[in-house]
Order: sequence, then structure tokens, then C-alpha cells
Amino acid sequence: MSTSAEPAEAIGITESPHRDLAAQRVIPLRHPGRWIATAVVVVLAAQFVHGLATNPFYQWGRFGYWFARPVILRGLWVTLEVTALSAVLGLLGGVVLALARLSHNPVLRTVSWVYIWLFRSVPLIVVLLILFNFSALYRTLSLGVPFGPSFFRFDENKLATELVVATIGLSLNEAAYAAEVVRGGILSVGRGQREASAALGLPRWYQFRRIVLPQALRAIVPAYVNQLIGLIKGTSLVFYVSLLDLFGQVQTMSSTYPGDVVPLLLVATAWYVILTSLVSLAQYWIERRLRAGERG
Amino acid sequence: MSTKLLRLAVPVLAAGLLASACSSGASGTKTDSAPAAAGTTVVRVGSLSNGAATEADITVAQQDALRAELPAAIRSGGTLKVAVGALPAGFPPLAFVGSDQKTLTGSEPDLARLVAAVLGLKPTFDNATWDNMFVGIDSGKDAVGFANITDTEQRKQKYDFASYREDNLGFETLKSSTWSFTGDYHALAGKTVAVASGTNQEKILLEWQSKLRTEGKDITIKYYPDSNAVLLALTSGKIDIYLGPNPGVAYQVTQTSKSPNPTRIAGEYSGAGETLQGLIGATTKKDSGLAKPIADAVNYLIQNGDYGKWLAAWNLSTEAVKTSQVNPPGLPASNS
Amino acid sequence: MSTLAAAVEVRGASKWFGAHKVLDEVDLTVCPGHVTVIIGPSGAGKSTLLRAINHLEKLDAGRVTVNGVLIGVREHGTRLKELSERAILAQRAEIGFVFQAFNLFPHLTVLENVAAAPVATGRATKTEARERALELLAQVGLAEKAEAYPGQLSGGQQQRVAIARALALRPGVVLFDEPTSALDPELVGEVLAAIRALAGGGTTLVIVTHEIGFAREAADRVVFMDAGRIVEEGPPGEVLDRPRHPRTREFLSKVL
Repeated sequence: MSTSAEPAEAIGITESPHRDLAAQRVIPLRHPGRWIATAVVVVLAAQFVHGLATNPFYQWGRFGYWFARPVILRGLWVTLEVTALSAVLGLLGGVVLALARLSHNPVLRTVSWVYIWLFRSVPLIVVLLILFNFSALYRTLSLGVPFGPSFFRFDENKLATELVVATIGLSLNEAAYAAEVVRGGILSVGRGQREASAALGLPRWYQFRRIVLPQALRAIVPAYVNQLIGLIKGTSLVFYVSLLDLFGQVQTMSSTYPGDVVPLLLVATAWYVILTSLVSLAQYWIERRLRAGERG
Repeated sequence: MSTKLLRLAVPVLAAGLLASACSSGASGTKTDSAPAAAGTTVVRVGSLSNGAATEADITVAQQDALRAELPAAIRSGGTLKVAVGALPAGFPPLAFVGSDQKTLTGSEPDLARLVAAVLGLKPTFDNATWDNMFVGIDSGKDAVGFANITDTEQRKQKYDFASYREDNLGFETLKSSTWSFTGDYHALAGKTVAVASGTNQEKILLEWQSKLRTEGKDITIKYYPDSNAVLLALTSGKIDIYLGPNPGVAYQVTQTSKSPNPTRIAGEYSGAGETLQGLIGATTKKDSGLAKPIADAVNYLIQNGDYGKWLAAWNLSTEAVKTSQVNPPGLPASNS
Repeated sequence: MSTLAAAVEVRGASKWFGAHKVLDEVDLTVCPGHVTVIIGPSGAGKSTLLRAINHLEKLDAGRVTVNGVLIGVREHGTRLKELSERAILAQRAEIGFVFQAFNLFPHLTVLENVAAAPVATGRATKTEARERALELLAQVGLAEKAEAYPGQLSGGQQQRVAIARALALRPGVVLFDEPTSALDPELVGEVLAAIRALAGGGTTLVIVTHEIGFAREAADRVVFMDAGRIVEEGPPGEVLDRPRHPRTREFLSKVL
């Protein structure tokens, strides 16, 4: 506050008469470049929208036919189902991995680190293919003592429906990313918060649930929603396990109706835009709720 | 289901079970087989074809002599598990999701149904991606693939084939293009051509390319994952020509006729090529013992005329074979 | 003075950070109801000693008792064994702690900050805790800020809330770790006033601070630490005005 030690005289204020200074209006700097850029962008955007609406290439009539066809809605439902299940399971897995990663137990820490490293390294598509081909590697899954006798045996082919395989694949992958998001969120809560909780003698579970988690969520939610948007689009790979999501149905229908390839792609685009917009809206709402209490 | 029950009532049940076939693949199972007289099945072929076929009912009598050739496990199981590799994009009219927008149809599943009826089995279908179809056969999840699979020497190292159809190839261009093919590969010089990798049409194209190169000319060859991507490349001018199985090309031409970018057939060529004999075969795991009963069943259908009815329903009569063979000579293993 | 009567007793406390010995066999006795002020240069080990009293910092050797109870450890034959986290948390309820950086919970209101611990530790019902919290907030002059969030308060107000929070469990001992060091100069007075109001109320206070004036005026006893040891201690009139040790004199000549 007292860093500018120069007296007023030194910077020349006394050189002009005082009343003139008061009367002088400050003219803001003009930005002609901004106006030119605006004009260019508006014209280009108008051109694009006009082209989109009038170019017969897009076949908007067929777009209308396909937009809410049962086959598309079936695919959309699969997309939503797989996304929702994987988002929840992935987050739960991520919390467990993050806590393991932050624990004092070196074995848990290492296992968690290896898991995260592995699943962030392997492309989702490879995970899905390996899972799908699981039955080629292991014909049955058995439930029982590790390395010991098994009580139940499942024929993997019957156990693993396409939906289950897709959900497991996406969740395994999602958990690795969620773990990093959750870990970052927990680490973003300052040491002082944990020390204050400890000094007050707050029980450990209460510390995590009421002090650390609510603050960590502020960092976790935006990052996880981004992750979720990636997940929605990641579901378009599930056709590799013979599950047809929105994009899978679009591809199938495109081959049966080759004349409608473009409108079908536009239908998929429109639905993905709608889904991600809804998620962003939810993000905005949740973040606003979590911000309650911050500096108003 | 109980083996004992099946043995007691096979003739009746075989027909009855067909009618209540349960869905297992993503696209489900077609259930257009009606119960008929004991030991016979009415197989409806060409349904939901979106204009690619003419529907026909074919009545098939179970052949106990052929059924006796089946591996015991399949005979007692009563089910023919068929793999189709038509995900996510199908290849109409051979295997694709039909005009009800949910049922798997096409010439290949229809033949599988006919063969199953001859053998007194209930067909079920697993529709998967092309690669996963083979894994399904490898792992025993599926017994046989009916999906326009070309018999090659390389594949024969792992699979047995029962051939059932020949390939004809077609050249597809935009309707606005003036290019055409009359049998001389020189017409392709300087063109950009799309072809599916690992197919006999690719092999033919590569041969032409190397011949043209010795003459100082060239063909640019592009690969796309499926027919949708090929069609987009064609309409956007990224490629000039698509060389593919003629039935698929013909289907695309019909289907795009009313779209903003219609296509046309700019020429045909024998899938047998100059030196190659391309055959499509039902594909089973090597030494599973299933290829022979299937080949015999196809031969039975050829002899009694049902095979001809099936091909006619799908407008594929030009691709008929005279007999079905087990592991006929296929495309050589290497391209060099 | 008698050992049994001590509110806080530290015996032979040693602590290393790597090769650096931050506490070197420190002995300290704090009498019940007294205000003890610990002064000394940075790095003298003042905060470490204070944090060892409620086991936020683990000692490598030595022991701490508060009101006769061993803190953080139990006797196991001739050795000391660390207690479970749960047991340590229970012990801390008897010892209030005020941090330099306040460390209020930013997502809870002022009232919730103060009322949280009695409810979470099962020592009070929600209603009781709220009433007590409102009383304490009135005591530090912040009753009208009960529903505000910490982010809406000035630093001095936040530290006063932290003091109220530390008192919510009715601890016998309250520890202050440089409570005014993070404050703008004009806000220091209100916090010192709140602490002064506690003095003489029967609560034992141990305060690490650089406010020599406050020490002179409010302390019953002043402890001067340097290089991990207690160099000199006694009434403020002695230690601050007639220091015996040259290091104390040197320190005081710099800060006064």
C-alpha cells in the first residue's frame, strides 16, 4: 500500500491547472479491429446457417423422419443406460481407487497406481474387445475361494450380456479417470481443513463426509462432468460388444438405407448435442448449489 | 432344454421351437418360420428386405440322414448357433437389419435358416462386428458363420468352409459420373478407388495396380471401414469409384436413387477374376465336423431346387454354385 | 508448584525434522487458569511445541499430559505407545486450538462452524450446540454474523469465530498458534481483545505470538524459546524487562 513512495509533485500533476483537469473527459480507446472481426464472423455464420438450411445434401425431410424413430430412440436409451450405469459405477470405483491412492498402506497405494496407469494407457476400444473376447480366454467364471475350490460356476456367455460387458468395460475405464479427478478434488482441500477437523476431535468419517468431501466436490464436479461428456461419446464404441447405442443404430440404419447416410449422421449429432447440453445444464445447476457460501 | 424330451419329440419340436426362437444377438432373431407338417419347416426368405428381395415361403423337410452326420453335441443341443458379422453397419442385401428397423435379415441368414431346417436344428443368430464374428466361432460361442465370408487359404488354417455362393463384383460411381468399365483395367488409370481390405476384390485391384505401374500409370486405392463411409466418400468426391460385391452395389444404387447424390453401376466384373476363384462359404471351426453336414444340406437344397428359389428371392441367381464343397481351393494366403 | 496441579505438562519433548532437531528435550509446566505466552525467533520450535500438546505433531521422545492425562500415547511397560486415532480425537475435544490461518470450514455458516464439533462428537444435541454457539458468538461480538459464511467476514472476524469454535467443546486448555500473524495490523486489536477476555475466566491459555506488548500485559508467564530449547521463563516483568539470558536480550532488542 505504501509502495508508491513518489510524492505527487514528482509525477507532474501540478503542471496543469486544476480546473482543466476536472473538465477533461476521458475518451475510451476505440477498437475498430473488433468491429471488423464481428462483421466477418456474423456474415460467415449466417452463410453457414443458410447453407445448412437450404442445401439439399442435408435432406432435412429425412432428418425429421429419423429423429424420433423407435430404432433411434432404442439406441438413445442404450446410450443413456450405459452412460448412467458407467458414470455411477465409475465414480464409485474412482472414489475407492482415490482413497487407496491416498492411503498410508503402500500395497493399496501401489495397486491403485498400477490400475490407474494401466487403464489410462489402454484405449477403451481395446478394453471392450478384450472383455468381449473374455469367453475365448476364460470359458467360465467361478465363485469361490481364490485359488481354491469354487462353489458356483457361470458360463461366461450366459452371464455377460452385451449391456453388462459394455457397462463393465466403460466403468473400468471410467474409474481410472474418476480416481484422478476425485484424488485431485480431495487434495484441493487444504491441509488446514484437516488439521482444524482433527484439532476439534471430529470423528474421522464425519471429517471426510462433512468437511473434506463437500469441499472436494467443488473441484470434482466440474472435472467429472467433463469426464461424463466424454463418456457419453465413448458409448459410441459399444457396438464392438454387439450392443447398439445411438451411433450404432445410426450406422446400421445407414447401411440399410444408404440414401439417408447424411441425415442419419445429423440425427446422431443432434441427439449428442442435446445430451451434452443437458449435462452442462445440470453441471451449472450443481455448481451453483455447491458455491453457496463462497464469497458472495 | 432336456435332451430326453428332444429325443422323444424331435419332429414336432424342431418346428415348434423355430417359431419360438429366442433372441440372443443385438438385432434379435427372425422368427418367420411357421410350423408345418411334422418334420417340415416353412422358411420365409426375403422378408423385410427394404426392396432388395421378393418374399417367398420355402417348405423344407428335415433330412434325418444328414442330421445323423452332425456332431453329437450339436445334434443333441438342437440349436445351430449362427454368427453374422454385420455390426455396426450391415451389408445389404447379404446381411443387414431389415425394414422394420430391428430384425436381422438378408440372404445369408436366410440360407442359414434353410440349412438349419434341413438338419432339424433351431437357428439362433449372434450379430457382431466382423472381427468378433470370428472370435465367436473360435471360442465356441457360435458354431458357424453365414456372412459373405470368402474362402481363403489363410482362413482355412483355422476354419472349415462349406461353399455356397460365388461373388460378382460391381463398380459404383456417382450417377453424374461418365466413367464406365467394360472389362479393361486401363480405364482405372489415374482414378481413386475404394475397396474393402482383405477381400478378393482388393486382390484383383492390387493386381491391376501393379500392372498399371509397370506401364507408368497408377490407381490410388483407399480403404474405408464400411459401406456408409464409402458412400460418404463417393458423394463428397474423395473417391471416384467403389469396387465391391455386386449385390451390395446394386442395393446402394436402388436405395440412393431418390437421394440428392444418386449412384449407378458403372460396370461389372467376375469375382472369380482372371486367375482367382472367389467362393463364399459357411465358416466353422476347424475339425468341428460341422462343415460336411452343412455342405450336404446345401447340396440337398441345390438338388431339390430350394437353393434356386432362395437365390431368386434375393435376385442373386447369377451367383449360384453347382455344388457345395468342403474346403474348396481358396484365395492364396499371400498377396505377393 | 506441584506437578499434579499442572494443566499442561511437557517433559523431555524431542522432535526431529530429518536431521534437524526442532525440539530438544523441552520441559514446560503450565498452571491451571494461567495465560502462558511463548515467544522467540522464527524456527525456534514454538509452534511445534504447541502442536505437540494436542498431538497434531508427534513427538519422537518425551511426553505431554493435559490435566493429568497422557496425550496421544499410553504407557506400555517402560515405553510409550501411540493411541488409536479415535482415542486421540477424543482427547483433543479437551484441548481447543486456534490456528494462524483460522482454518474455518468455508462451506459451513459461522454458526455451523461453531456448533459442528459438539454435535459430531455426541456431546450436545443440535439445539444445545446452537444455543451455546450463539452465546459464544455474542461473547466475541459476532452474534449478528451467525448465518454468514466465513468468506464474507474480515480476517479479524474469522479469527474471532475460530476462537468461539475452539471454545465450543468447553476445553480446559486453549492453544493459540500465532493467532494474529495472518491479520492486517488494524485487525490485530479485536482478536487480542477477544483472547484477553478469556484470560482470568478459568481457562488455561497457551499462546504463541510475536505481540510482545500483549505478552507484557496479559501473560502470567512468558516463555522464551530459541533453537528448540526453552532458554528462559518467568513472569513478564522479569523475562521481558530484565532478561537474564543474552539470547533473550538480543531477541527483544530486535522486536521492541
